[in-house]
Amino acid sequence: MCGIIGYVGEQSALGFLSTGLSNLEYRGYDSAGVALVDEEIDVYKQAGEVSELQAVLPENTSERIGIGHTRWSTHGPPTRANAHPHTDGAGQVAVVHNGIIENYETLREELSERTFTSDTDTEVIPHLVARELDSGASPLEAVEEAIGRLEGSFAVVIAIAGYDKLFAVRRDSPLVLGHADHGTFLGSDVTAFLEETQEVTYLDDGELAVIDFDGVELFADGERVDVERQTLDWEADAAEKGGYEHYMLKEIHEQPRALRQTLSGRLNTEDGTVELDIDLPTEYLNSLEEVQFVACGTSYYAGQYAATLVESLAEVRTSVHIASEYEFSGGRDPWRTLVIAVTQSGETADTLSAIRKATRAGARTLAVTNTLGSTITRVVDDSVFIRAGPEIGVAATKTFASQVATLAMVAVSVGRSRGVLSSERAVEILESLRALPGAVQQVLDADRAVAEIAHEYADSEAFFYIGRQLGYPVALEGALKLKEISYDHAEGFAAGELKHGPLALVTEETPVLAVLTDGTRPSETMNNIKEVQARGADVVGVVSSDVPTKQVDMAFSVPECGVVEPLVANVYWQLFAYYVAHKKDRSIDRPRNLAKSVTVE
Amino acid sequence: MRGEELSAVVLAAGEGSRLAPLTKRRPKPMLPVGSKPLLEHVISAVSEAGIKRIVLVVGYERDRIQTYFGDGDDWGVSLSYTVQDQQLGTAHAVQQAANAVGDEFLVLNGDRLIEPEVIEQVREELIGQETETPESDAVMAVTRSAEPSRYGVVTLEGSDVVEIVEKPRGDSPSEIINAGVYGFRQDVFEAIAQTGQSDSGEYELPTVVNRLAEKGRVQAVRYNGRWLDVSQLWDLLTVTGQVLDDGHGHLSGTVEEGAQVSNLVHLDETATVGKNAVVGRGTTLAENVRIGPNATVERSVVFPDATIRAGAVVRNSIIGANVTVGENVTIPKGKATVVVEGTVHEDVQFGGVIGDNTHLGGGSVLEPGTIIGDSVTLAPGTTIRGTVDDNVEVRNG
Repeated sequence: MCGIIGYVGEQSALGFLSTGLSNLEYRGYDSAGVALVDEEIDVYKQAGEVSELQAVLPENTSERIGIGHTRWSTHGPPTRANAHPHTDGAGQVAVVHNGIIENYETLREELSERTFTSDTDTEVIPHLVARELDSGASPLEAVEEAIGRLEGSFAVVIAIAGYDKLFAVRRDSPLVLGHADHGTFLGSDVTAFLEETQEVTYLDDGELAVIDFDGVELFADGERVDVERQTLDWEADAAEKGGYEHYMLKEIHEQPRALRQTLSGRLNTEDGTVELDIDLPTEYLNSLEEVQFVACGTSYYAGQYAATLVESLAEVRTSVHIASEYEFSGGRDPWRTLVIAVTQSGETADTLSAIRKATRAGARTLAVTNTLGSTITRVVDDSVFIRAGPEIGVAATKTFASQVATLAMVAVSVGRSRGVLSSERAVEILESLRALPGAVQQVLDADRAVAEIAHEYADSEAFFYIGRQLGYPVALEGALKLKEISYDHAEGFAAGELKHGPLALVTEETPVLAVLTDGTRPSETMNNIKEVQARGADVVGVVSSDVPTKQVDMAFSVPECGVVEPLVANVYWQLFAYYVAHKKDRSIDRPRNLAKSVTVE
Repeated sequence: MRGEELSAVVLAAGEGSRLAPLTKRRPKPMLPVGSKPLLEHVISAVSEAGIKRIVLVVGYERDRIQTYFGDGDDWGVSLSYTVQDQQLGTAHAVQQAANAVGDEFLVLNGDRLIEPEVIEQVREELIGQETETPESDAVMAVTRSAEPSRYGVVTLEGSDVVEIVEKPRGDSPSEIINAGVYGFRQDVFEAIAQTGQSDSGEYELPTVVNRLAEKGRVQAVRYNGRWLDVSQLWDLLTVTGQVLDDGHGHLSGTVEEGAQVSNLVHLDETATVGKNAVVGRGTTLAENVRIGPNATVERSVVFPDATIRAGAVVRNSIIGANVTVGENVTIPKGKATVVVEGTVHEDVQFGGVIGDNTHLGGGSVLEPGTIIGDSVTLAPGTTIRGTVDDNVEVRNG
């Protein structure tokens, strides 16, 4: 998933490219770049979000031709060098590209006399074009020749210095032209330029578009073909949400697929081992005295969940730290401390700052993140990717599930290496993890029932979430979701803590949401439920199949899956928060005052 | 509005209740055939035919469709969704898309396997005659079937449609059937508005076509390519077999030591096949499926997240999502008499059909033709036949 934008027209290109990249950010956001074209080609690229690129873009540029790209790497790190556009060494040709060039190794060998500066397959394209130009071919001939050499699926846009045209071609990757009054746009999808025009032309496979100040010429098999225009009738934001009203709901529903990706190829359910591709030597793990988790927000709760698992499965002491509060202190031995940073974006400033403190102290560090090649991965000793795919909604949902699943695999891995986790128990844990996607799907199938309950309680004065053990971080996360998107007063408590204070807040107007599954000591929490019911509060419970449901006012069930049952329960709380916020007509994907990844301390 | 790109309306709102328990949690178009759901086959065919704007009419369990297809980018098409809240028939479904289409548009069923060619044929016929006064009011693809009376049988006069008769009783008047691909113009909406309910209380497209044929002209386009339908549970196995035999599966995933996997199989990249297991021809193993050591799975469709444990033998069967087939469970193939929604089907050949989230205890034996519902628990060592309803707990002895 990457995004392409291009512009040729009467106005300065840069503003359109910049807006286009922001619009395309949902397709990926780990590096981005633009090239502005006149007699020379100026390239600006940056690893990180589009906003980081925007921070280094010049003001008041005059170029009226440009191309841009935002990348979400699946292979190879998202470094500045690997960001698009790519050029030939001489800055004569610039290219943005989505897709895969299957024969790039052959082509690269063939071009071995030329200088390559990235690890990408894309870079062969500008070199192929430049070589043809150098041997006297016209720009059109050079582009046709270069494209003819490519195998694979791609959408490509090519710019040549001193030549006021862009060339675009696609094969099995989408590419669309937009016809505005002031110029012509190119995009990997229409959201790139929907503010400027709704008159579009979808390129067919193999078609070559030549775009200049006068408009577009299209060629198929060397013959000119008509440019067929159509008018779109949809609003800018609706397209990429795939029929869902909000990204958040879409992402909640994506959890089974995201989790399957998280687990794919990593579980060995026969012998109870995991393959995480991290290098933690057994001698080091044996000498380990403590595992520290550092994180913020939802990731912090994922860390809390994981800490309980690591203590029980790997028999090592743990601590969980809010990243902004973190100090490496307390007389700890850095050589015997593993510090695990949990961050979706890999760019969270507080977490980065904490992990730098740990590194300075000499501790070994590990990052658990969704973003390949993000800043954190360059700071730590090892990284594990949660593979949840891009998350757009500010309120984290699918990444929490994938973080916990990944951290559970880390716990099993460490436990096995330290020789403290039996293969039988490990198999049991891994079977539970493998059951997770199917269990989450069952919760999603109950979507409508959750919506009804959420609507019933939406106007409550406050919401209290309780749970014990693994249910405690889920209570905290459930409350955070509701705060973030519905702006209601919500709090999560360890169930046993209620009577030590918070019980004073409980009234008939404050529903209590309880996790009563495996891993949460449900029978003990039942006593706390009686306490709140005695104060007139209704109790909504998420229960395992073996927990009696008579006691609670409304019960949702989770299928049997051991230590991840509380994680499955959390999906109910996600849906609950969503439907409460929905009833109140909140700005669910962009809650007030919040940003997706917080890159300031 | 000339020059506006033709869009295709794909009907995917229906439940497919005959296919229960598989359609309890997903609409029929999301049933997997080979490497992808039925609906994805349709969307790919539309895209290959060069139509890049698709309006999906969704309704029953629409989350499943929306989560899977998103905005259509991965298929190189722009998808928009129109919701049919109540499933009141195919004509009613098309009516929902009225604001999303241009002067001319195609309509396709979202649950038939077709080739791009039939879409191109209908499009050419629809657009080719675009003059001030079109020669016909609608275009419809027809094909031949060996069992015409299962479908809408079409009477033709030359290339004009005279009448469609839905599932005629007794001898079928012809072997030509409605292929479920239509080309319409805006005035079809008027015809839909004037068409009454069918006997079953729904508003059906064939009734609308009959009305158009009666008052004007409906042009038939003959299509001889692949046309496959899943109207009964066991059709899913034969259709899957045909698609995989044509080489439409992909073998990825993890295959452990000593396991044998036929190359006429679809193995998802997130699926695993355990040691010395055998996966035979005509089998689909979806995402996160795990086949245990020494198990045998043949000519079967296994939905996502299902587990088939060590030593189990599963032949000609459909295993729903998140099902656990316990150790050494046996589901052999054979002929059986099966009752679906009150209709008796004799000599049907399949092993078993297991609904989502069901747990078959170790050592159980299912007799051929067994249909077990959604979320059933079967005690270990049970021998069972016939039909088991949803949410039942079957104890042994």
